[in-house]
Amino acid sequence: MVAVYERSYQNATKVTRKANPFGFDPIFAALSKAAAITVLVLLAGIMASMIYGGWPAFREFGLGFLTGTQWDTMNDRYGGLPAIIGTLSTALIAMMIGVPLSLGTAIYLTQLAPAWFKRPVGTAVELLAAVPSIIYGMWGLFVFVPLFAAYFQVPVSQVVEGMPILGTILYARSPSGLGILSAGIILAFMIVPFIASLTRDMLDQIPTVLRESAYGIGCTTWEVVRHVLLPQAGVSIVGAIMLGLGRALGETMAVTFVIGNANRLSASIMDPGSTIASRIASEFNEALGMQMNALIGLGCVLFFVTFVVLVIARILVSRVKQY
Amino acid sequence: MSQMAVQDAPSAAAPNKDAKVCIGVKNLDFFYGSFQGLKNINMNFFDRQVTAMIGPSGCGKSTLLRVFNRIYSLYPDQRATGEVMLDGRNIISNNVDINELRARIGMVFQKPTPFPMSIYDNCAFGMRLYEKLSKSELDDRVEQALRKAALWDEVKDKLKQSGMGLSGGQQQRMCIARTIAQQPDVILFDEPTSALDPISTGKIEELIEELRADFSIVIVTHNMQQAARISQYTAFMYLGELIEFGPTTKIFMDPEQKRTLDYVTGRFG
Amino acid sequence: MSDTTATAGLQGQVKWGRVRQSRRVSDKVLRVFATASTMVAVFVLFWILGMLIWKGGQGISLDLFTKITPGPGTAGGGLLNAIVGSIVLTFLGIAIATPIGVMAGTYLAEYGKGSRLADLVRFINDILLSAPSILIGLFVYVILVMPFRGYSGWAGSVALAIIALPVIVRTTEDMLRLVPNSLREAGAALGAPTSVVIRQISWRAAKAGIVTGILLALARIAGETAPLLFTALNNSFWFNWNLTGGISNLPVTIYAFASAPYDNWQQLAWAGALLITGAILALSIGARSLLNRK
Repeated sequence: MVAVYERSYQNATKVTRKANPFGFDPIFAALSKAAAITVLVLLAGIMASMIYGGWPAFREFGLGFLTGTQWDTMNDRYGGLPAIIGTLSTALIAMMIGVPLSLGTAIYLTQLAPAWFKRPVGTAVELLAAVPSIIYGMWGLFVFVPLFAAYFQVPVSQVVEGMPILGTILYARSPSGLGILSAGIILAFMIVPFIASLTRDMLDQIPTVLRESAYGIGCTTWEVVRHVLLPQAGVSIVGAIMLGLGRALGETMAVTFVIGNANRLSASIMDPGSTIASRIASEFNEALGMQMNALIGLGCVLFFVTFVVLVIARILVSRVKQY
Repeated sequence: MSQMAVQDAPSAAAPNKDAKVCIGVKNLDFFYGSFQGLKNINMNFFDRQVTAMIGPSGCGKSTLLRVFNRIYSLYPDQRATGEVMLDGRNIISNNVDINELRARIGMVFQKPTPFPMSIYDNCAFGMRLYEKLSKSELDDRVEQALRKAALWDEVKDKLKQSGMGLSGGQQQRMCIARTIAQQPDVILFDEPTSALDPISTGKIEELIEELRADFSIVIVTHNMQQAARISQYTAFMYLGELIEFGPTTKIFMDPEQKRTLDYVTGRFG
Repeated sequence: MSDTTATAGLQGQVKWGRVRQSRRVSDKVLRVFATASTMVAVFVLFWILGMLIWKGGQGISLDLFTKITPGPGTAGGGLLNAIVGSIVLTFLGIAIATPIGVMAGTYLAEYGKGSRLADLVRFINDILLSAPSILIGLFVYVILVMPFRGYSGWAGSVALAIIALPVIVRTTEDMLRLVPNSLREAGAALGAPTSVVIRQISWRAAKAGIVTGILLALARIAGETAPLLFTALNNSFWFNWNLTGGISNLPVTIYAFASAPYDNWQQLAWAGALLITGAILALSIGARSLLNRK
């Protein structure tokens, strides 16, 4: 212990101080920086491992890996188109159903719900987001799918049978309830709480004065939402929706339960299909050789699609910080 | 005009003409990014005297205060050039250990800043960093500091309770106790009473008066009466420049600069 | 009524009723739609919970917690090994993710504030936060399962840790940002170096929030299935502390048993689903109330 300096006080004791006792300080700073860099390394690692694992398949099939419709394990020929289309179409259906419901829920929670009701309903919506996806899958398979088959697929198929266009995309060859549309609907229920709570947070950030001044000149709730809130938070809400899209694209367990896991391409959204994630989940553990490379290759495609969606989403969402 | 001057008549003890210089400032400039916050400041601060810094908001008085313990170094875009001498060393040069400097120059902030820990731990915080003390020595020093800060009687039975639970005035006195417990050479007060009610303010002012026996004190205040009541020296700053510095009596009763006169008599500010 | 007419007559103009019908209608439509959307969401939650309690409640028995998973065609059985395995995997995952996540969040909020590296890490962390969990499973498969030729509890924990990490980083940063700068200055003014200010002041002030983040991360990974499929896999044996082999866990067991042709397996899947959802909802509610209490 080195006395750095001493000074006596009229009314106080003498102080002896240790010289710089903080050798740990730079180590702590370095550890914290290293932890931050770990985050970057992880994402780079995921990207690299997808490319590395999928490379044999890309090399073997070239562009045909994206456009081929055959998934033939006997002859080791793999084309990812059915899974890619399935991924995009389930996500699209989920967005078409889920986005209006999410925005409606967010508007209800921020503008319409009585104060005492906001907390419990808001919590319920957030809890819905916490329910694990495998539970949505079980609910979908055992509760939703039978009802969907009996009360939607069968009657709709009967109505549209033979009709042009509708007769193709809405006709179920075997009305089991499983299929692209069912998966899309389950996905919609899964993304609603997610987008709704993000949007609610954004609407809450809009200064109350803006709302009050709009109400003050006699606007109805609809007009306040349409002309004040949406223009203010619009970009960020699009970001929130994109985040929901990212989730819908990569969702695995719920989809695997209800999509039917068919490898062929069908023009009807009532027919079973598969998504990239469901294909990987159901085949990966039995896959060997090229089949495994093809599955990782599909994972690589999924990675880049969601990466782009999420990057756009985050850029849009970050705009909200301007308030 | 003379009535105004009488109202503000300094009531603090007269300055000690023999006091040694404790901080010497020479050619000090300060920058926030490209904005110059202080322009060529030259002045001395005296040992065991209270120096008040007054001036309209934005005049640089807080900036100057924040140079003395280099708290500005927390922010990468702020920098100072020039000379601030303490015990033969220029503290704004790189060969000074900032943390040790801060242990020697304590600071009390505008709003109370109780740490999220017990009253005892709050007071012991600085000592634990730099001194190796036994439990009983630490207890003694904490009690001493709290007594000096006139808080001991109010908190002696609840030292283990959180410091956040005290009232605003008590919190501020706890922060003072925390600072004096470390027994620094200088204590900087940055508008210490602006967030407090008049009764708490009175207590803090009395306290500063007593602390003068042991510590050199620099206090930034926007309250001129406060400066007149407690300080021996006063510096008037305006737009980043030191306009006038001298014994408080002189600044308030017979300033040399017209701007100082205008300010202390309330014609602007 | 007559009053209004009288006034209107008096001044020769209509004071009330000038709001166009279309405005009223569009407003009404919005209100009905927004309310209905919320009701659908809340209804789905209660439907799922109701289903779990109805189907899973029947399977809750002492056997569930004392017996291990049954083989194909064997009667009875419980979920003991899966429950223990899940708890171990989840806590191991959190134990790996917490120190890294808290330190990384600390970097973002304290050391790196405003730096380009921090901006990049924050951005990438947000991407990782929403990255599909199945891809994280594939990643861990490629780096840990393939080279060591076998599924392992370690691989499963690492996969869960990667999912938990961004949640912890994000909440830690957000909570540290709520700590007023004046506290940091006060700590520094007493001569405390940055690392002491962070550990003794910032972390302490943000403690409830950081713990909330860890609990939310725990809730997030407790029910994750996809990343465990190719990492920890599953087995039907008693839990083995040697984490180098496949390890039984609830989510994968539920997945395997739910659509199996044996009644007792299906019953176990429902009971497991009830357990896991109950635990996750309890964690989420606990985390939220911890934050609100503060």
